[in-house]
Amino acid sequence: MSETAKAISDLFTQRFGDQVTVGNTHSGITTLEVEIEAWQEVCRALRDEDDFSYEQLTDLCGVDYLSYGLSEWDTEDASQEGFGRGVEALGPGRFDWANRPEAGEMKQRFGVVVHLLSFKHNRRLRIRCFAPDEGMPIVPTLVDIWSAANWYEREAFDLYGIVFEGHPDLRRILTDYGFTGHPFRKDFPLIGNVAVRYDEQKGRIVYEPVEIDPRVTVPRVLRDDSRYKTDELDQAADAKAEEVAAAQGEDNDG
Amino acid sequence: MGINNPVPLAEVDDILRPSADANPLMDRGFVVTSVDALLNWARSGSMWPMTFGLACCAVEMMQAGAARYDLDRFGVIFRPSPRQSDVMIVAGTLTNKMAPAFRKVYDQMSNPKWVISMGSCANGGGYYHYAYSVTRGCDRVVPVDVYVPGCPPTAEALIYGILQLQAKIRRESTIAR
Repeated sequence: MSETAKAISDLFTQRFGDQVTVGNTHSGITTLEVEIEAWQEVCRALRDEDDFSYEQLTDLCGVDYLSYGLSEWDTEDASQEGFGRGVEALGPGRFDWANRPEAGEMKQRFGVVVHLLSFKHNRRLRIRCFAPDEGMPIVPTLVDIWSAANWYEREAFDLYGIVFEGHPDLRRILTDYGFTGHPFRKDFPLIGNVAVRYDEQKGRIVYEPVEIDPRVTVPRVLRDDSRYKTDELDQAADAKAEEVAAAQGEDNDG
Repeated sequence: MGINNPVPLAEVDDILRPSADANPLMDRGFVVTSVDALLNWARSGSMWPMTFGLACCAVEMMQAGAARYDLDRFGVIFRPSPRQSDVMIVAGTLTNKMAPAFRKVYDQMSNPKWVISMGSCANGGGYYHYAYSVTRGCDRVVPVDVYVPGCPPTAEALIYGILQLQAKIRRESTIAR
């Protein structure tokens, strides 16, 4: 942690005490973990107090930590030919409704991450809080503090089902009209529920249950060019060298 | 509107093209041809597409329409209204939410009308084939005449698709059955 980052993080701990935990400084932006009870209070102080003056909310998003750290690509053991492109297991979202994973008991499943910008200090800040109940994640709204949060919170509600308490107009914003479920949740099957087509008889678009199976499309990698034939080329060269050596040996003998 | 055995393309084309050799229009001042040939010549020479850019393919469509490739040369002039359009170029990812609006725009176009599906997403869902929000091909919603493959197709590929549609239109017969 650099000296300025240290000074900044000290500022936060002095001002907010137990309400916040100073996290890492990834990409040079300090991260604050804020207790859910103090979410609005801390944010208001971050905007209004001269030490902080974060006038602008640049981003707000939800996070689902259900399959955090899991990957469908095995990239740890790279061979000379590169990564094995085969998918080892069905990763997040690659399942149908019958086989969706049980979320079960999971503390701190849903988080809300906010990025702030202070023009006055030319400084950025990342703050995060976790919803206490993973069954019905509720987080206080920030619309009263930064009006820019309005559509971002609608987006997080639409995609993750995080309810922002006190939001003036918490409707879906991106998904289809009448959509059910929250598609960015890690237990939401990627294929979804419905497919559309035009019905000639009815003369309108109809919704039908989705008819395809979930699948991971694996890119086909062709390894036929000379870069991937080093072993064969080496063997051929060795055989050639042996032949030449044998021929020279015969010459010497004779 | 059925498809019959075509008059050889060159013949249909050249009857009405003043620069062709032994052009009857230049020699005698009049020309005799079938009404179908005339209609097809008129239709294929002024395919006005509905501007229906949905995603990154639209950028290639703009490229095809801009100064270098200049679709105006083919009589292809983009229209902002379906009422004035003959062709719809579906350029990009068609989502479920967009599908009703897309069909409405198609229905508002006056007959005869054609559809060019541009790019993998419009052809069959493409990259988003297994996604919850994307229509797996715009042919689930409207009848498609020409599919242009690519992700996105180059401007040249789109122009080739437009030329293919021109060739298709020339084979149609409106009067003769």
